[in-house]
Amino acid sequence: MAGDVHLFGIRHHGPGSARRLVEALDALQPVAMLIEGPADASDLLPMLASPEMVTPVALLTYAEDNPANASFFPFAAYSPEYQAACWAVRHGAALRFIDLPASDRLGASAADIAGEIAARSEEDPVSRDPIGALATAAGYDDGESWWSDVIEENPATGPVFAAVADAMAALRADEKAVSTREAAREAHMRIEIAKAAKECDGAVAVVCGAWHVPALAERRSLATDRELLKGRPKTKIKATWAPWTAPRLSRASGYGAGVVAPGWCAHLWETHDGDRVALWLAKVTRVLRDRGHFVSTASVIEAQRLGVALAALRERPSPGFEELRQAAIACLCNGERAMWNDIAAELLVGAGVGSIPSATPLAPLLEDLQRQQKATRLKPEALERPLTLDLRSESGLMRSTLLHRLNALDVPWGRLTDAGRSRGTFRENWQLRWEPEFAVRLVENLLYGSTIMEAAAGRLIEAMGKESELGALAGLVRNAMIADLPGATESGIAALETKAALTSDGQSLLDALPPMADILRYGEARAGTAQHLAALMPRIVVQAALALPYAARNLDVPAAAKLRGAILAGDAAIQLAQLETDVVAGWRAALTALLHDGQATRLIAGTAARLLYEAELLAADHTADLLARMLSPGTPIADAAGFFEGFFEGAGQRLIHDAALRGAVDGWLLSLDDDAFTASLPLFRRVFSALDRNERRRLMDALFARNSGGAKGYRLIADAAAIWQQHEARVIALLNAGAPR
Amino acid sequence: MSEKLRLPAEDSFASELKALAAGEGHRPPGWALSPRQVVTYLMGGKAADGTTITPKYVGDKRLIETAVATLATDRALLLLGVPGTAKSWVSEHLAAGVTGDSTLVIQCTAGTDENQIRYGWNYAQLLAHGPSREALVPTPLMRAMEGGKLCRFEELTRMGSDVQDTLITVLSEKMMPIPELNTAVYAQRGFNIIATANNRDKGVNELSSALKRRFNVVVLPLPDSAEEVVSIVVKRVGEMAQNLDLPAPKNVADEVARVVAIFRELRSGSTEDGKVALKSPSGGLSTAEAIAVMVGGISQATFFNDGKLTPETLASNMIGAVVKDPVQDAAVLGEYLETVLKKKRGFEGYYASLTDLI
Repeated sequence: MAGDVHLFGIRHHGPGSARRLVEALDALQPVAMLIEGPADASDLLPMLASPEMVTPVALLTYAEDNPANASFFPFAAYSPEYQAACWAVRHGAALRFIDLPASDRLGASAADIAGEIAARSEEDPVSRDPIGALATAAGYDDGESWWSDVIEENPATGPVFAAVADAMAALRADEKAVSTREAAREAHMRIEIAKAAKECDGAVAVVCGAWHVPALAERRSLATDRELLKGRPKTKIKATWAPWTAPRLSRASGYGAGVVAPGWCAHLWETHDGDRVALWLAKVTRVLRDRGHFVSTASVIEAQRLGVALAALRERPSPGFEELRQAAIACLCNGERAMWNDIAAELLVGAGVGSIPSATPLAPLLEDLQRQQKATRLKPEALERPLTLDLRSESGLMRSTLLHRLNALDVPWGRLTDAGRSRGTFRENWQLRWEPEFAVRLVENLLYGSTIMEAAAGRLIEAMGKESELGALAGLVRNAMIADLPGATESGIAALETKAALTSDGQSLLDALPPMADILRYGEARAGTAQHLAALMPRIVVQAALALPYAARNLDVPAAAKLRGAILAGDAAIQLAQLETDVVAGWRAALTALLHDGQATRLIAGTAARLLYEAELLAADHTADLLARMLSPGTPIADAAGFFEGFFEGAGQRLIHDAALRGAVDGWLLSLDDDAFTASLPLFRRVFSALDRNERRRLMDALFARNSGGAKGYRLIADAAAIWQQHEARVIALLNAGAPR
Repeated sequence: MSEKLRLPAEDSFASELKALAAGEGHRPPGWALSPRQVVTYLMGGKAADGTTITPKYVGDKRLIETAVATLATDRALLLLGVPGTAKSWVSEHLAAGVTGDSTLVIQCTAGTDENQIRYGWNYAQLLAHGPSREALVPTPLMRAMEGGKLCRFEELTRMGSDVQDTLITVLSEKMMPIPELNTAVYAQRGFNIIATANNRDKGVNELSSALKRRFNVVVLPLPDSAEEVVSIVVKRVGEMAQNLDLPAPKNVADEVARVVAIFRELRSGSTEDGKVALKSPSGGLSTAEAIAVMVGGISQATFFNDGKLTPETLASNMIGAVVKDPVQDAAVLGEYLETVLKKKRGFEGYYASLTDLI
């Protein structure tokens, strides 16, 4: 063997071990660098050192035939692997990944694997967290602090890697046999190391998780190792870099090898021994002040003193994360944990998003996205950010189109907050937030096309083909329309036409109307054409009008409520779309027919009456008559109540202003007998609770024919003096008798 | 057994303190134990010679470490929390552990004035000899400063804000001027202050930020889990029953678990399984009150019920703890009894006797 192998057992994302590693590498000057990571992605490794690469980033490997089967290997600036790769590129050392190829893992598990450790952590807690076992042995509650004190925050350089290797050897000595996968991984690494040692002349540095060090140091014959690797699964894979986010590095995000506080690790990496504590507390103070809390400099000094005292009490070399946290709570947050929790996310996790060089071999969709991000000047950020777009401007339209297309691809980078309704059609309010997994989802969409536009269109067309509900189909067409996908829109409208012709279900016809009205309206703001639709919508309205009387019959309560909603929304859509008058007249005629149809569910009839009344097609006196008839004592209470609800729910205000209507309702209410009144009470409540206090009072005023001036809610009784004595005696008796014990 | 109803902590636990003091460890000036030993004294464990130290505080060790570290830095310590979270208890034991003397206490009330904080005058002396050190009547605070001891302020927020602010100079400059004599008392090393305060009660005066800034604040939380509460109550009930010469009935632990379960449900406003929302009574229903209910119940059982601890004997004590407002709380309890306790297995006795009582 020509090469001289040095094993460096590190902790993934450990700033301290990264620093020690760089020092050790500087001393060793290896000619080859072997890193624990999928061997078939080695080509990508040198890119890590590219100046355009901004951490955190992740190595993304996915199966070529099924992009959903992917795995990530995240790197932060303080990841030892990252630092090792950068060092190797800087010093011109050979650089390779030596772990089992990604094709092995991706071939093995059909399930989506989130992080490297996640797959490894199946059975054994010690192999998953060897540090935890060591920490317990050292009397620490928590592995994190132990490693921090002994390795990360140990200011003196020493043979730490030898010590770590010894500790791991001791730990692994009482371990039972490792799983086959573990064994195969370690065998693969051993073979690769041996190969590198043979090829190179000089020192070979191996950077791997501390847990693997003893196994890699072992001498085994090549043949036995090859035996272990036989028959491993395989699949074709692709690998690339993906931007990652700081929140995704934290363990709370579900990343098994993640760190508790990425913000703290970054701080450890960025600062040096002497002023680390003060700088951290200064950071805490800045965040607290930004949030509007008052923190004096004297308190910061006290926090530092308390932190040092706590560390001394626990016999630790310097205040660590936990000590500083407690000191900050006691001195800066007035002991309030809630205040700390308020700043913790910003402080401990951060919102950093990595970026990757433009030359990265991207999955074509990611590439396209990056291009469009540049064109639209939209930067992916991990924090929520509002964005208001004006669709009249070219850039606004372009951005909106991109976001809509991404939504169609199930990459909800932007969420439409008000669906563009409240501020008119020219404005869209978005809430932007980029999640790293969006990169995976984009890659999954490769099946549908190789650009975002193609893929979005392909995906929508497929969904349209599968959709059986007319309403949902119309929704998809709207999506295609606003995402500026003419091909998909056309095929959607064609599908809508065929579907509409075949269906006779009033409910689903009505459901299709609101999205269609939206499209017609959107047609003005967007360049896309909507002529097809302008012809289709009247047809559907006519069909719905015809189907309505049958749809309204014999419905149970939930079905009736659903149809009521559809009728209200459909009517609003018809008014919005400004259709031909005869089409609207046909719709109104259908509503009128409902009134005279004895079989129509009363709730629906009431709704129809209300719409007609609002459209002024039903005269006030006529309406009063109708109400009186529908609510007359001869009608079963349940029916009358249904009609009442249909007419009034959501429109109680009408009663305040409409005297004739009020009279009719009043008459009906007074005619109810006690039981019937009680039975309908919840209904009345529901109808009238929509009124606010003021409106209710105005209703009362109107009802008792009072004018609006004077003391409201009180009535002057002429002969009050005479009856007061009697009342008073009664009240006193009640108070005496009913006093609670 | 001593005739005193209750001995100060340093006397009750003299043997433990002695055993701890025998151990090694760096002691800040004026301290009887090293900071680590104080933490062991509070949280329980073993002394260097193997003596078992009973836990005084059941809860998060880190809070106690912060408290002890604070005292070691000459910063004053403020223990904050809702009523019944062992603030005074911790403060007494901290003082006993740190200086071996927990008796320098100032009980703050709305009627506390500056003379009770700084110093008073012996008027006979004052008239006879004029102002002099002999005519001064030192307060616990003054004695603590002179002796390098810990002074405890109970319920700091209950005294007026102007009186509270007397402490500002003492805390920042560690001295107390006596302008009448043109002199000052300088604190000896080891002097410090532990204050306790309620942050959620009627009739408290908010600390000025100038004063609050001079304290490190440790908030003592309500215990997280029912098991923790039960173990605290069982332990304290045992100790108190022993102090009061009450024989502890066998089923104490079971009944404690039930009482605590009822208290927790009422306090948290939902059942343990989180399925039923409840109204909460106006009282705090703290761990301390659960202890009082148990001790009251045991006493009643001993003297009136042949030593048998039954739901009936406890129920009458519980009513007093739960129903602080005779109208509202009775309604709340009534609703709880009918909606929850009636169906709860193992609580039939409580349901029957509580229903009888309200």
